[in-house]
Amino acid sequence: MELGTVLSIILLAPLVSAGLIWMFARQRAALAMTLSLGAAGVILLCSGWLFFGLWDGSSYEVGTEWLTLGSFKLSVGFLLNDLSALMLFIVAFVGFWIHLFSVGYMNDDGARGRFFGGLSIFMFSMLGIVLADNLFMMFIFWELVGFSSYMLIGHYLHTDEAAQAAKKAFIVNRVGDFGFLIGIIMAYWTFGTVSLTELEQVAGIRPEAVTTLMGLLLFCGVLGKSAQMPLHVWLPDAMAGPTPISALIHAATMVAAGVYFLGRSFFLFTEEALLIVAWVGVVTAVSAALWAFAQRDIKKILAYSTLSQLGYMVAGFGLGTLYGLHHAGDSQTALYYGIGASMFHLTTHAFFKALLFLGSGSVIHACHHEQDIFKMGGLYKTMPLTTLTFAAGVIAIAGVPFIAAGFFSKDAILYVAKSTSAPAFYLLTGTALLTALYMGRLFFIAFLGKPKSKAAGKAHESPWTIVLPLVVLAVFSIGGGYLVMYPPSLQVLIHDWVPHPHGADHQLMIIISAVASIVGLVLARVIYGAGAKTDKLETTLPPVYAISKSRFYFDEIYLLYVKKVQDRLADIIGFLDTLVISGVLVRGTAGAAGLLGIMARRLHTGSVSTYVWWFFVGLVLFGAYAGGFLEGILK
Amino acid sequence: MREILFHFFAALTIVPAFFVATSRKPVNAAMNMMVSFVGLAALFVLLETYFLAILQILVYAGAIVVLFLFIIMLIDAGSSPHPRLLRFLASLAAFALMVFAGYYLVFGGGAGPFAEITAEAPGYLSRTFGVSLFTTYLLPFQMTGFMLLIAMVGVIVLSRRFESDETGGEQ
Amino acid sequence: MTIGLEHYLFVSVLLFAIGFFGVLLRKNTLVVFMCLELMLSAAILALIAFSRYNTTPGAPLMEGNLFVLFIIAIAACEVAVGLAIIVALWRRHQTVELDEITELKH
Repeated sequence: MELGTVLSIILLAPLVSAGLIWMFARQRAALAMTLSLGAAGVILLCSGWLFFGLWDGSSYEVGTEWLTLGSFKLSVGFLLNDLSALMLFIVAFVGFWIHLFSVGYMNDDGARGRFFGGLSIFMFSMLGIVLADNLFMMFIFWELVGFSSYMLIGHYLHTDEAAQAAKKAFIVNRVGDFGFLIGIIMAYWTFGTVSLTELEQVAGIRPEAVTTLMGLLLFCGVLGKSAQMPLHVWLPDAMAGPTPISALIHAATMVAAGVYFLGRSFFLFTEEALLIVAWVGVVTAVSAALWAFAQRDIKKILAYSTLSQLGYMVAGFGLGTLYGLHHAGDSQTALYYGIGASMFHLTTHAFFKALLFLGSGSVIHACHHEQDIFKMGGLYKTMPLTTLTFAAGVIAIAGVPFIAAGFFSKDAILYVAKSTSAPAFYLLTGTALLTALYMGRLFFIAFLGKPKSKAAGKAHESPWTIVLPLVVLAVFSIGGGYLVMYPPSLQVLIHDWVPHPHGADHQLMIIISAVASIVGLVLARVIYGAGAKTDKLETTLPPVYAISKSRFYFDEIYLLYVKKVQDRLADIIGFLDTLVISGVLVRGTAGAAGLLGIMARRLHTGSVSTYVWWFFVGLVLFGAYAGGFLEGILK
Repeated sequence: MREILFHFFAALTIVPAFFVATSRKPVNAAMNMMVSFVGLAALFVLLETYFLAILQILVYAGAIVVLFLFIIMLIDAGSSPHPRLLRFLASLAAFALMVFAGYYLVFGGGAGPFAEITAEAPGYLSRTFGVSLFTTYLLPFQMTGFMLLIAMVGVIVLSRRFESDETGGEQ
Repeated sequence: MTIGLEHYLFVSVLLFAIGFFGVLLRKNTLVVFMCLELMLSAAILALIAFSRYNTTPGAPLMEGNLFVLFIIAIAACEVAVGLAIIVALWRRHQTVELDEITELKH
């Protein structure tokens, strides 16, 4: 079978599933679950077939023209190269296990049809982004993914919190997408094409046409989708959605789409743009790590850790590509070091973050939807498998050398940071320490010690549909740093494109990572204690705790802006709309037509004599026309 | 000779017509109309269309005017009041407009030079009429027959008395 | 002077104008109807005049005259039906003045 056909099956299977669910299974939960899970299975199988033989590793591109408007052509097509293959693997693999998890987790939900339909739509949109071969197609699917996210965050229709969060996510994303679209148009304007392969060629021929502004505008889309500063505010709120959604969309795949896009379009970034990109990532990573300390909700902690890790990925891309540009002589693939570092961290992050979220889902499910970690505790006795897998996840994110996949990926990022920008390196290393610290805090308070509430006391291990994905992901979180875990076609990227430190640097990096992770975990145990009832930081250092809790007042500033400026502007425009468009244009034309009608009605006097007079007028007009007097008027 | 006759009969047609339009009593109007029709028939004779002249007397002056008189009698229409000045002037203006337009058309060369009368006087006998009527124009002839039938049926239907008209006029 | 076609046509025009004047001026339905008949006879006159003056020797032009024949027949029908309507109107409104018959209003 042709590659293009297989790719089409991968892309369209979830769409078919969503369509069928929409038509037949909105009230039939079992059918909806089967269809959605089936589609995810088809995607996994077809991807596996691709990676284990059908695809030979070379760049494959196929496409057709979809829309032609004058000289502008919009085409749809697939571009399968090392980068998109890796992303496809992540989406297919992690996506399948999360689908399986949802079957168990959502078993008491009343709107499962809608949920699984949304999941399928999301898979379709995400795969569209992964496989897209040109910027416009990617943008279309970008927006589709935003819509799926909106739909799924707002899944719990009856809670105000979910509705607000969905709205916020969509609007903040829209702000980013605005810059994104302008960037795409600018690229099209400058280069005359939006196809990724063609852009790469043309940008290589004319490097001076690639401007910093273009790169930064394109980066706006990343700011929105991957929740970098200052558009990060939507991600913590998005935790109002169901936990599988938080795992799939807001941890493993959708938020990573921004980083994936950076990889796809790396040739459109100048050195200045890369520097700004890197620093945005660093700042996000550090700030998010600081804010995680004041959170009590288990999902919110994980959300801030996602923000922090995304900052790592973005910083890794920026610093890595800079490193590659400066050390181009080292190896053939040096230019791809940024992509390699960020994508590798994306991969490992997908594994352990999905694992952590699913684990928290298991815990939440068992504790009857209790999400405050200070009300949990003692879960290691009642839910051993969940505890074990969660511990694996914590070790992975902390980056303990050799037994954590996160170690290898973070190692690569720290290495390029060290070689490129010393301040960035120190900040990132400090953040690694903080990461281990707050994740340790989470683990020790929630899982160890004694149960602090009745719900926690009555918890029991979750069913196999929930636990099996945890186990699988735990295996990959631990072993994900080793090449053997990946299909052969994907090993090229991981082996060649990820920068590895050599010689003395190698040992130095191992030591640094070891210190950061282990010291962080130990400190967490010491400071917070197992199963603590109150937050030690809150009680001992209130000012520090207050700064962390404030999250630097971003939400408050945005709310103020919306209330004072945005709403006023909207009111003005609304007023204009009522006045001009609906008043003058709509009701005006209706009124004019009505007036004409009233005037015409007046002609019907009912008096025959009047009608005769009208006859006469008509006769005169006719005579004038026949006599040629109206030639001038009728010209 | 012919010219004098023409002018006389033209006046006989036009002047009573004017009285038809302005008489206040309907009976006067009807009688004037009859005179006007007779004048018209005379003009037809001048045009050597004898058949149609007789037909005009028979149908128009004979039947139609009589019908009018019957209805005037039936309805017992009295005399009408003087028309209001504005209406009169407006109608006069319309009349003048038409006459001037017509004059310009006919005598001002607007409609082109008119045909000269040919020496031969055809006479337009009833035989000629009959031949054309029953060969080339058979269809319109038959249709006219239908029309007369329909008119007759229509009149009968329209003059039927309905229950609500019991309080109305006479039989 | 020779009586040409134009004289007959002018008489026809005059008759037509008078008829129309009457229709505009009068309020009594019967008189209006009579003036309508005048207009019709003006048309008849014009047709016959055309028919007579455009004849070629040997083949008399019958069309105009035949047209007039039909017009006369139809005028008779029209008068009959029109008067029946007037009678019906009179039965309903007890008047035939146009001012008082205003049921053609919407």
